[in-house]
Amino acid sequence: MNYMPGTASLIEDIDKKHLVLLRDGRTLIGFLRSIDQFANLVLHQTMERIHVGKKYGDIPRGIFIVRGENVVLLGEIDLEKESDTPLQEVSIEEILEEQRVEQQAKQEAEKLKLQALKERGLSIPRADTLDEY
Amino acid sequence: MQSLEEDCPLEEEREALHGLVDEDDDIDQFNDDTFGSGAIDGDWREEHDRLAELDEKVGGTSPLQAPPPPPAAPAPSSLPPLYSRGLGERGTLRELDSLLLGGDENLAHNLSKLVLSAEPDYRELEDPAIMRAGLQQHKRAPLQPRPQLNSGSIWDNAMGLGGMSIPKPLLSQVQDSPLMSIIKEVGLPKRPPMGRDEGRDLSERAPPPRSTSPVIGSPPVRAVPIGTPPKYPIGHNLNQQVLCPTPVHVRASVQQRFPSAFNDRLSPNQLVNIANSQLRGHAFPPGVGPVLTQLQRAQMIGAGQVTMGTKREVGFVGQNGAGGDRPHRLGGSQDRRRDPYSNLMTSREKEWVSRIQMMQLQSTDPYLDDYYYQNYFEKLEKRPSPMDSNGDAHKREHTKLITPQVAKLEHAYRPVQFAGSLGKLTVSSVNNPRKMIDTVVMTTRSDDEEKKEKQVWNKRRQILYTVEKTYSLLLDIQDFERKYLQTPEEERRALLEERRSKLGRCSRICLREQSDTDSNRRVAGSSRALLEIFSDDHFLQIMRVRKGKLLVSRLLPFLSVEHAVAVVMATARNLPYIAKKDAQDEVLPWLIEPFSIVIQHLASGPLTDLLQDLSGLPGSPSELNSSTGNQQQTGQLGKVLLSKFGLTLLYLILSQGERLQSADSNTELMENNRWTELVFGVTAELLNIPEASLAQPAFIPPSLLSFFSRYVDRQKLNLLQDKLQLSPKPR
Repeated sequence: MNYMPGTASLIEDIDKKHLVLLRDGRTLIGFLRSIDQFANLVLHQTMERIHVGKKYGDIPRGIFIVRGENVVLLGEIDLEKESDTPLQEVSIEEILEEQRVEQQAKQEAEKLKLQALKERGLSIPRADTLDEY
Repeated sequence: MQSLEEDCPLEEEREALHGLVDEDDDIDQFNDDTFGSGAIDGDWREEHDRLAELDEKVGGTSPLQAPPPPPAAPAPSSLPPLYSRGLGERGTLRELDSLLLGGDENLAHNLSKLVLSAEPDYRELEDPAIMRAGLQQHKRAPLQPRPQLNSGSIWDNAMGLGGMSIPKPLLSQVQDSPLMSIIKEVGLPKRPPMGRDEGRDLSERAPPPRSTSPVIGSPPVRAVPIGTPPKYPIGHNLNQQVLCPTPVHVRASVQQRFPSAFNDRLSPNQLVNIANSQLRGHAFPPGVGPVLTQLQRAQMIGAGQVTMGTKREVGFVGQNGAGGDRPHRLGGSQDRRRDPYSNLMTSREKEWVSRIQMMQLQSTDPYLDDYYYQNYFEKLEKRPSPMDSNGDAHKREHTKLITPQVAKLEHAYRPVQFAGSLGKLTVSSVNNPRKMIDTVVMTTRSDDEEKKEKQVWNKRRQILYTVEKTYSLLLDIQDFERKYLQTPEEERRALLEERRSKLGRCSRICLREQSDTDSNRRVAGSSRALLEIFSDDHFLQIMRVRKGKLLVSRLLPFLSVEHAVAVVMATARNLPYIAKKDAQDEVLPWLIEPFSIVIQHLASGPLTDLLQDLSGLPGSPSELNSSTGNQQQTGQLGKVLLSKFGLTLLYLILSQGERLQSADSNTELMENNRWTELVFGVTAELLNIPEASLAQPAFIPPSLLSFFSRYVDRQKLNLLQDKLQLSPKPR
């Protein structure tokens, strides 16, 4: 049965493996089990995948219900091509460590930048203090 | 109350019973039954079996039978406290069930019998809730049966008996509440198909119903909000055999039970049946393979892959098929076959979602709401059909989404008004939000200066408004062709008429000032028919505004020849003024193309007139030129040459002249002195003007060189060539 051809309806995507990118930056991979008119998603056997550089790590999360408005994009994963990736999978501990290091480096850089700007009398409002709207 | 205590073996039950007397605790008890210990304590399957047994054993239908003693009653502790009492009157419980399940005809009759005659029985019945309520209901009109509902397990409540199951003690509160009046007026949101009094117990279950009167303007209330997915098919309230091993009509309830279905308590057989029934019941998305045989499933289950919470599950059991060790399967369809979690979303739900999505797509004018999609499909259809090998992939694209076209209904909402009342009603709802503040714009200043300023602004606003009006007419006209193709034969003529009238309105609006007294004066004695009603002023006002110029450029192709020529002439006549006003906007180049099209169709007579208007050089006297002084005219050509647009226009005119001449050497153009004189004048000016101040034209028509060669000698021709860069040889 052809549900809504030519549209972005998710009905045809049900029970397929998807990669979902959320607004807070998380990447979830799971089987799309159910949807509704707001594109709220029910993901089954979900893994949260953390990417740092060329490495990634998967954290098993179970079942996710994602509110539709928080989804940036999602796409079906081709199961055949899934393993065909240049990225290297590492353990969870390692990837979390890598992530922490990366965050730290970023924060340091940000601090330096702010410092430099302050010396020049300029200030840029930080992204997290701005409301996203 | 004595009998109560006798029958309650457990201390806690006694306490609970006492608690029932107090109305506040009643609610808690009910809650407890549904969600608390009352729900957990009983194993639903055993209860179900018991019920099933009862159904078979007790045969009669008379509601007045004294409840027989429970046969081989199991340990009461295994049952929820109230339910044990319910068993005591299981005869009536079963009666109730059969009543509910049976036809509606007897229902009212049976119910009334049950209730009325049972009144005295209430004291005997062990359920204090019943007793208490019975006491109160004494005074009231005949009612629904309630006793067993309170004592029943959550199954009864859940199984589509819907709003019926309100415990008596709760109900008793309802009698005099203000709620009742609303309910009585408006009706209750959800009513199972039973003969009942209005204004009953349902109110306690659902939130108080919102008033839903079309008069006041509130939208109709929905018991189940629009966003809720379907739970069970309606009328499905007989599913006592929920998970019995009959795989047929299990869909709806299996739905609900799915999460629990995969725990260890279920036998593999049941699991198989559930899975089977699920798969069988639904419309498959394309690509899903046939149902697994029972053997395969048993294998799958036996391999222990399906148990939840094991580590192995983490690795996408469904994806790898039934076994983690098996090789990775190619092709998604095979994986789906082995995916035990597939089809969690029933086709019913899918349809429901897609229906909602379709509702959102309803539109009265698809070209307005979904322009790009429509265009895309038009292009697709025009494209030649692809090769056969790609046929399938492309065919999918070709299935167009046909959205229902809803007729646009205009609802003029008028707020409720009562005759003879002072003031307005202060009723507000979703459809008519209330105006909270009455604000009126007050202008306190009214000096003369302000007035003048305002007049200026008003005039400008007037012009802008005219432009906007004409624009909307123009857009309709432009859409005309598409609409024409869509309407059937009969209506096409009407459509044409409509177009013509709109076009007429356009030209009238921008080209003439209806109440202009000047134009009336000019009416007398003019050979140019249209100019009788033509008002330069109005046109100029429009040309002053940026949007007006763009409007003219878009409108010009649609205008009739006379109108178009009039427009071009007026522009030429007033070019310096227009060019000056365009300094900031710089949109005159937009006019070049439509103008060139008009000019290319000009005959020699109008062409000459046009050149005259443009150059402002004295030719044969025309009344329009006579109104302006001679001094002004001599400067005009100079100014024209300074502006890019003007120069381009000039070139266009000259090239058209050239075309006419080369086409037919005996053309009127040569015979007409005017033309020659004008050209001489133009050439003279061109030679005189310093090269630096000469504007850069948008383009130079190639025929100019040959044109000039007719009129000027060699020397001057060379000069002109250099100056205007007319040479075909690239420099």
